[in-house]
Amino acid sequence: MTDRKNHIPFDEDNYTHNIERNNERMLDRRGFMKTLVGAAGLFAISSLPWGTIAAKELMGLSKKEYSHKKIASLKAVAVGDSVDFSFPGEHDSALLIRLSETRFVAYQNACTHLRCPVFWKKEEDKMICPCHHGEFSAKTGKPVAGPPRRPLPQIQLKVENGFIYATGVKRYEA
Amino acid sequence: MKRSFLGVFLLALILAINIVTTQFMVHQFFYEHYTNTLACVALNLFLFPVALLIYKKEIHKGGKKYEQ
Ligand code: FES
Repeated sequence: MTDRKNHIPFDEDNYTHNIERNNERMLDRRGFMKTLVGAAGLFAISSLPWGTIAAKELMGLSKKEYSHKKIASLKAVAVGDSVDFSFPGEHDSALLIRLSETRFVAYQNACTHLRCPVFWKKEEDKMICPCHHGEFSAKTGKPVAGPPRRPLPQIQLKVENGFIYATGVKRYEA
Repeated sequence: MKRSFLGVFLLALILAINIVTTQFMVHQFFYEHYTNTLACVALNLFLFPVALLIYKKEIHKGGKKYEQ
């Protein structure tokens, strides 16, 4: 049995005993520098898509057409209530809040921290993100507590014939 | 055998700048400040050839490995 342990099947089999010096496999200075150059390349390549989209946005900045979308009827939303909808795309979830008899606000409700859905908490008069307790003011969409730094994108609204419509997404002031 | 760690230091510095720029780029993108985003992209792109140049310059600095 002890025999088997020390038995090397072939003379030529040098796949596992091919380290000639101590620490040969350690990352040396050159290898480390190579890794760092690779990292720089990775950063460069990964910033390309952001650049492309940013350039596209810059060129077509002025005109962005949104098709109007009916959210709910006036009667269905009581003061202090909120309605979930999606705007402009079907995956851009959004939140409509009726603050008073005449005042409505709507925001895209993906948290500006890590995109968890934000919900309206009537008792606290705030929008709350369940993930890391981010809080947003319902009146402005600005973050008031927690990790988020950027206000929620506001959705422009229009009330017509007893219905509430979403008409566009407001840009941040540049 | 004497080593030169200047290259390592400079490349680490570039990595640090890369990280900061990229974070700033993404945030500026979501803030819709697209000009700032583009500036960051340009910086990131520019840093790669710089890193490569430093690497090429520094790789043979210091003592040769097998020299006595
Ligand atoms: S995702 Fe909303 S606070 Fe982190």
